[in-house]
Amino acid sequence: MKTRKYILVLLAMFVLFAFPIVKPPLFFLTLCFSVFMFVGLTESWNLLGGYTGYVSLGHIAFFSTGAYTTAVCMNRLGLSPFVTAPLGGIFSAILAALVGYPVLRLKGAYFTISSLLLAVVMQLIFMNWDFVGSSTGLWYKLLPVSIEMNRLLFYEAMLILATITTLVVRYVERSKFGAGLVAIREDEDVAKTMGINTPWLKMKAFILGAFLAGTVGGIYGYYMSYVHPEVTFSMNTSLLILLMSFFGGCRTWSGPLIGAVVLSLANQLIVTFIGAEISRILYGLLLVIVIMFMPDGVIQYAREAFAREKG
Amino acid sequence: MSLSYIIESIISGLLLGGIYALLSVGFGLTWGTMKVLNISHAVFAVLGAFVAYWMFVKAGIDPLISLPLLATLLFLVGAVVYRLVIRPVQKAKDVIMASMVATFGVAIVVENAMSFFWRPDPRILKPPYAGSSIFIGDMAISQGPLIGFIMAVSAITLLYLFLHHTYIGKGVQATWQNPMGAALVGINPGRVSLITFALSIASAGLAGVAMAMIYAFYPSVQSVWTMFVFLVTIVGGVGSVIGTGLAGLLIGFIIGLCAAFLPFVWVNVLLFALLLAILLFKPEGLFGA
Repeated sequence: MKTRKYILVLLAMFVLFAFPIVKPPLFFLTLCFSVFMFVGLTESWNLLGGYTGYVSLGHIAFFSTGAYTTAVCMNRLGLSPFVTAPLGGIFSAILAALVGYPVLRLKGAYFTISSLLLAVVMQLIFMNWDFVGSSTGLWYKLLPVSIEMNRLLFYEAMLILATITTLVVRYVERSKFGAGLVAIREDEDVAKTMGINTPWLKMKAFILGAFLAGTVGGIYGYYMSYVHPEVTFSMNTSLLILLMSFFGGCRTWSGPLIGAVVLSLANQLIVTFIGAEISRILYGLLLVIVIMFMPDGVIQYAREAFAREKG
Repeated sequence: MSLSYIIESIISGLLLGGIYALLSVGFGLTWGTMKVLNISHAVFAVLGAFVAYWMFVKAGIDPLISLPLLATLLFLVGAVVYRLVIRPVQKAKDVIMASMVATFGVAIVVENAMSFFWRPDPRILKPPYAGSSIFIGDMAISQGPLIGFIMAVSAITLLYLFLHHTYIGKGVQATWQNPMGAALVGINPGRVSLITFALSIASAGLAGVAMAMIYAFYPSVQSVWTMFVFLVTIVGGVGSVIGTGLAGLLIGFIIGLCAAFLPFVWVNVLLFALLLAILLFKPEGLFGA
């Protein structure tokens, strides 16, 4: 049973990696790229937000740090995005360490407010900082390869990144580190009393999540070929990350994965065929519904409903 | 830089602070009494601004005359949001967290509905009197902020009187101090919550009108306004009308003082840094109980 599952997953991964060989229309590659991006973002958010319950609305600050690192390096130094993406991750991790030290001492609503604050303040700073293009944003040249090659390259890059992120989160969930994070969610004071170094665990989760999100941002920043504070720091991205994680169920590594795949597919289709505002309205509504009726995610909800049906 | 320039700047800062206080007073009230942290608070201020703007542009009704109508309208909107979203969320294990996430969804819904129906262009509410200024010596005080400030002070005073001198208001306070005890003496907690929440939304709408006479507004400006709400509430402490008022004035004073020396955006960045510092060292607020 278990080996069969592994073989199925490997097969699916192989199909995903080989998908560009059949030369699908660019639309599908773009669609998949955004799905992978959200998988990466949601999984990395979940490290802190899901396991410890420290709901952050500032995850886009790390994502944008990565995007801007790529943008500035491309624009001024002409560095390859494959160098700048990990660099963006490192910058995000540093930012997370600096911000996390004070902010992670706050609990509940106060933490969430400060994280939202981080995103808004950074957006304000980037809007008025000429070095990063202030409110006009930054444009830069793409690599000297054809558009198909470009899309293919970044499809694979984002797929690898999303896979790594998911595996890291899965590994953390099953490790002692993950158990410590869950203990923080259940009761932080008790966890502390039991000798768990809660501040350090939260810090580690925050920094790791920021690193992964920054790397995703670095790839995204190149892929978009321009960055603008209104776009990269968009509050809607925060909403999407939160929603995907809660929708799938934020207590497992598989929940955010499922949430991200299902909802970002739906999101892209609605944005393309109906309109961005409508899709955001639907997303906001969905978040409200999920929080009200299925706080443990749609999968858990379905499982419970199924169990009730049977028993 | 003359002294009168600095004083002028401080006065306009104080006027602004009064308006921020009105913008925040409802937020602190719902957080304090109902444990509902309403992230969508500022989006309803923007909605109020839009309603006043349309009544002014389409029907030619002066924003000051349409205020009672607007307050009633937003009170009703608040009641509907309470019924549909807040009341179910209040049953959650962690009400603050659940309400925060759910109202974040509400904020996004209302913001995007506004930009869907009315386009996201920046607009400004400019009744003829808002543009001119009063001169005292060589200082100029623009009338827009002054009228907004007067509006804010009257609304906050009314709210204070309501809470302390009416039967329902006292019920709200009683529920706030001891929900169980209040229920035992026959105060309906659901009714009290409904009134508190709807009032908070109505006050946000009024503040939105005052804000719209000073700043350009557009749907996504709500995130910046939300920050001001947080700032004032955290400085003033949760759930105190007087504390919120004082905090608004204090912040206005700081804004005015800094604006005399710094470009406006950096004043905002400075303020948010201040907020972070307060959160870290005195999360119960400077005027909190």
